[in-house]
Amino acid sequence: MTPNGVSSGGTTKGESGMKKKFIFALLAVAFAFAAAGTGGASTQSPQAASTALVKCGKSRTIGFMAPVTGPASDIGSEQVAWAKYFVSTYNKTHKNKLKLQTEDTQLGAATGTAEALKGAQALASNASVLALAGPAGSNEIVGVTKTLKDAGLAWVSGSSTRTTLTTDGTRTGYMFRTVPPDAIQGTTAANYILKTLKSKRVYIIDDQETYSTGLADTVQSRLKAGGVSVTRDGVSQQQSDFSALIAKIPRDTQLVYIPWQLAARAQAFGQQMKASGRGSIRLMGADGLFSDLFAGVGTNVYDTNFPLNPKSKIITAFKKSHGGKGMFFGAPTYAATQVVAAAYDKACANGTATRAEVRGAIKKTKIAASKSVIGVALRFNAKGDLSTAHKFGVYKSNGKTFNPVS
Amino acid sequence: MNWSLFFDLTVSGLTLGSLYALIALGYSMVYGILKLLNFAHGDVYMIGAFLGWFALHGLGGPVNPDFAAAGVLAVMFVVAMLGCGVLGVAIERFAYRPLRNAPRIAPLISALGVSIFLQNSALLVFGASFRDYNTFSFIGIKTYNVGRNLFFSVPQLLTVVAAICLMVALTLFVSRSRLGKAMRSTSFDREAASMMGIDVDRVISATFFIGSALAGAAGIMSGLVFGQIYHFMGFIAGLKGFTAAVIGGIGSIPGAMIGGLVVGLAESYATGYLPQGSTFQNLYVFALLILVILIRPSGLFGQAVIQKA
Repeated sequence: MTPNGVSSGGTTKGESGMKKKFIFALLAVAFAFAAAGTGGASTQSPQAASTALVKCGKSRTIGFMAPVTGPASDIGSEQVAWAKYFVSTYNKTHKNKLKLQTEDTQLGAATGTAEALKGAQALASNASVLALAGPAGSNEIVGVTKTLKDAGLAWVSGSSTRTTLTTDGTRTGYMFRTVPPDAIQGTTAANYILKTLKSKRVYIIDDQETYSTGLADTVQSRLKAGGVSVTRDGVSQQQSDFSALIAKIPRDTQLVYIPWQLAARAQAFGQQMKASGRGSIRLMGADGLFSDLFAGVGTNVYDTNFPLNPKSKIITAFKKSHGGKGMFFGAPTYAATQVVAAAYDKACANGTATRAEVRGAIKKTKIAASKSVIGVALRFNAKGDLSTAHKFGVYKSNGKTFNPVS
Repeated sequence: MNWSLFFDLTVSGLTLGSLYALIALGYSMVYGILKLLNFAHGDVYMIGAFLGWFALHGLGGPVNPDFAAAGVLAVMFVVAMLGCGVLGVAIERFAYRPLRNAPRIAPLISALGVSIFLQNSALLVFGASFRDYNTFSFIGIKTYNVGRNLFFSVPQLLTVVAAICLMVALTLFVSRSRLGKAMRSTSFDREAASMMGIDVDRVISATFFIGSALAGAAGIMSGLVFGQIYHFMGFIAGLKGFTAAVIGGIGSIPGAMIGGLVVGLAESYATGYLPQGSTFQNLYVFALLILVILIRPSGLFGQAVIQKA
């Protein structure tokens, strides 16, 4: 007996051999897991991967970053669904097969930017990834810019709308996006409120995310310049009880502008507005709310969105394969994945490609409007913005879905 | 004074406070008996909301329910409360009981682990999307206007009334039933209770069952009032419930009820009256927690613990 009452015992030769075998087996299992975790990817340092000449082969890997989990996983799942849908339709008609290396960014979580950075590093180190679709959020893009640029990776975002991302020159040649920036959308919304709805008392509630505050700022300044009485407020995306916030909205308010990203949240807000006896006040959202969920709140609901045609063949087919759900927030991510795939095809024409070649091919993207899910041709200007999208559309709900009114 | 705003905020605060009170009761009961902070409790509330949603859809859904709304509601409450009760017992049996004699940090870490496990399991099983209770198709959107300024909806009224009924029932149960007496004895001195022939394990299981069942009921009420549920909803609600329990005096049942109402009303008034209240409501609520602890460390209804020499 040892002083602490635990028998120490001796170690025999046989036991020692058993232990060694056990440790060896554990190491083997751990190694197998590690290999499986990389998915057989050709892992290199980001610097080596940035200049590597990759044999394209028949299976090509597109990097993909989205908030698969976390508070914004609702919109992340829409982006994942659309990206996967593009890959599945592409693979049906092409000899070369695409696959996605998906990295979760956990947008909106306390660890969100760190997770995005981890994902960017994983993609940067995988030499077979030549470009990526995503990330979703503007803040995430600021966080991963250096990592992706150092690795020579171009990225095409389907939802980051902060205007300065492409205008400050930091990401020129690397970042592209398939959504127009906040400046265009905010101006469209403000003009419609001023000139068509002629609202004089407007309440603006942002959701405290960069996407939302940017849009709210633009609309607020334009409305104030137009002589409208504007009250500004904010609410967290993680909140589902809006009753106290709604209590602050004066009953004579004519329109509440909510440029949020979670349509389900806007739906709850609309329902709670009704429950508080404020159901007659108009609601207006932005592209993040372009969903039947928000439209279903009532016929006094408006929304701005890129000129997406809900009756397009691509959207019809998508809805058919997804139980009738449009998941419109994710549609520009389809376009982003489409741009990257087209660039891969172009760069891989001679059987090999580098990240620089794919970046060059993305810059020169030309996809016709008829093949584009967002309703305009996909072409980029020198800054990386769509050169074809100069305005947003305005839509009004018929109680079930949105229809264009401007 | 803008009375319309005041009454709106009060109705909102009472509704929210009723939910926090039901969650706080679970925290308080478990702490009273085991001196354990069951951080998985907020996630049990989330599971309750999902069980209610599945029961609702199992009975035809909110638009065309198989029978009258009152019957559907009753079934939803029974399913969620029973399901959460069983879940609470299972959590205690597998995650806390083996650690009952371990250092106090061990069950605390285990509780955090169970919380994350439940959140991620819900994400895996139920998915990331919000689920809609569609309360207004189901119960109706009628809003009552008493006088000229007091507006409230049916789900809000239902929540406050149901929460009061459950709290009264719990108080009567703990003060008058045999099991309630055993719970109070175990809470006072577990070892002495055991020596007096009380089956402490059974009492602890019953405590987890009741506390979790109340959280399940709160989950359904949340779905009815706010319309939507999702896998992450238990985190912040759990924290607020815990705050309510501490403010009321953790371990005290009336304290948990009052603490819940205090937190709900404070959150609502902060949103309405304080600068950028809707943005920083959590800041104000947790500042209140710090203030109460500084002024009265044992909470409003808690008793100061006499340290043994």
